[in-house]
Amino acid sequence: MSLADHRLGGTKSTETTLPAAAAGSRKGTKTHTDTGGGRRRRPRHHAEGLEAGKRSTRTLLWILLAAAMILYGFPFLYLLFTSFKTPIDTIAVPPTILPREWTLENYTNALGRSGVLASFINSTQTAIISTVLSLVLAVPAAYGITRYKTPSGRVFIMAALVTRMVPPVAIGIPLASMMSAAGLADTPIALSIAHTTISLPLSIWLMSSFFEAVPQDLEEAATVDGCSRLGALWRVVIPVVSGGIAVTAIFAFLASWNEFLFALLMTAVRSQTTPVVIANFQTQFGLDWGSMTALAAVYSIPVIVLTLLLQRKIVAGMTLGAVKG
Amino acid sequence: MRISDRRFAMFLMTPAALFLAIFVAYPLLRLVTDSFFKISPMAGGPRDFVGMDNYLRAFASEAFMGAGWRTLAYTLVVVTLEFALGLGMALLFTMLGRNSQIWRTVFLYPLMIAPIVAGLLWKFLMIDNFGLIGTLMHQAGLLANPNQIGWLSDPNIVLFSVAIPDIWLTTSFMCLVLFAGLQNIPGDLIEAAKLDGARAPALLFRIILPLLRPVIAVALVVRGIDAARAFDTILIQTNGGPQSASETMSLLIYRTMIRFGDPGLASAMGTIYLLAMLGVAFFAVATIWRPGKDN
Repeated sequence: MSLADHRLGGTKSTETTLPAAAAGSRKGTKTHTDTGGGRRRRPRHHAEGLEAGKRSTRTLLWILLAAAMILYGFPFLYLLFTSFKTPIDTIAVPPTILPREWTLENYTNALGRSGVLASFINSTQTAIISTVLSLVLAVPAAYGITRYKTPSGRVFIMAALVTRMVPPVAIGIPLASMMSAAGLADTPIALSIAHTTISLPLSIWLMSSFFEAVPQDLEEAATVDGCSRLGALWRVVIPVVSGGIAVTAIFAFLASWNEFLFALLMTAVRSQTTPVVIANFQTQFGLDWGSMTALAAVYSIPVIVLTLLLQRKIVAGMTLGAVKG
Repeated sequence: MRISDRRFAMFLMTPAALFLAIFVAYPLLRLVTDSFFKISPMAGGPRDFVGMDNYLRAFASEAFMGAGWRTLAYTLVVVTLEFALGLGMALLFTMLGRNSQIWRTVFLYPLMIAPIVAGLLWKFLMIDNFGLIGTLMHQAGLLANPNQIGWLSDPNIVLFSVAIPDIWLTTSFMCLVLFAGLQNIPGDLIEAAKLDGARAPALLFRIILPLLRPVIAVALVVRGIDAARAFDTILIQTNGGPQSASETMSLLIYRTMIRFGDPGLASAMGTIYLLAMLGVAFFAVATIWRPGKDN
């Protein structure tokens, strides 16, 4: 039987709830999502596609999901709970899940340590510089690649993709010696440049996808109206892709914020970022687990909160390259 | 004066291209040239041309070959497990439909955690004596005593243990990408197959997975590359130990350079590692992924 004419027109299509699925695919952007409300009004209507229809099946699936979420969420909750234990309780045998006594001692210990607050400033500074640098370089490049489709553009985007495959450990050491030769040793600038080698290829890739979605008539109209090509890019195209720029910025920021290997190789006293400080806790202070968990929590919570707030954008960025294929 | 489109495109791409040339291509070139020299770890120390000697030493060294196999095994374990878990979660979310949206969001959170923090966290959960996992398994009656499994101290299983944070961190990515792919499968197709009497396994293996193929390919390539470069999570958990049982390529190169002060040998190892990664990745991109081409 033909699949195409099966129930054609008999189903209600809505835009998918996932922005990226729509943005990422040029083919089928419509998908079938049945709302809970619809099902309740028409109890005998079966859910469409893969969505489970039977009430008993759905209950089972929800139980499964709850179990998965608890398992998945537990490690970080345990880290949080541990950070509120007294230093002795953190290494109690057998361990307890909840603190016997809630205290902020680990936090005051960790944040009071010399260099810890400075490392937060370094991390923020490095991530911001690297994000800006990445955007300033990636946005025009991606525009040049997608808008003009020259052979060199195609070579360039493949080269950028290849760069993503370079193991950081392979370039980390030559890069570090280049930086010290340039007099940039142990500065946030040097580390930002190193982080940009990671985020730039991804940014070019992401921005290219966003530019693909912009209709060319837009800047053609602007150039007819007397705008220069740069003027059209700046005044017409950039505002249209500002959402994409935001997505790219988040990814560049996160890449730098969480990066460790370059930070380990290229920073010493002045520009050390928090991941390196966290790792150093192991050796320098003889396994102070309490302070380590507290510092890890402080470092993670801002980005987790930020991401949950901006989740639509994050999801868009993450699925874009992949679903587009 | 009006410049040609081609020139204008060049003008736009040049800054990024220059940046990558200076800060990626040039260091790579230095890595390759360094691999032919015997270099003293001291700054300004002697530098003697030794030809292929470093390469011969690398291939002759048990540590290097071991690290190569471990990196391969590690990558396979990480990618397989997170693919299976990610697909399971993606199907679960799809079957629950729109109501699951908030949980999909919450499921993303590990992606934002620094690998170094994830490694630390799981080390804390698996460590001997006060690790929670051993204790919980003991209380559940699975283990006779909480330290029966030396997650991070038993050389036979440590490579699996150090992979856990990586799997935990990035299953969300796999799930998200597969979920997005699932949204693009027309519901009619599934309905029709169901009417034809297709049961769940047939539906999964005959319809869903073949249709997801391009998305799966990209997800596997991207994650494979990342897993093969794992460094942070392993360094903080075991530093490659015990007895090098969790020493993957990135760690070995790092230690050869920093700990054992042999930049020449480390560069040779780095070059081989890089070529292997590029080879595998090129093959995967050209045959499976084919970016820019419609599948």
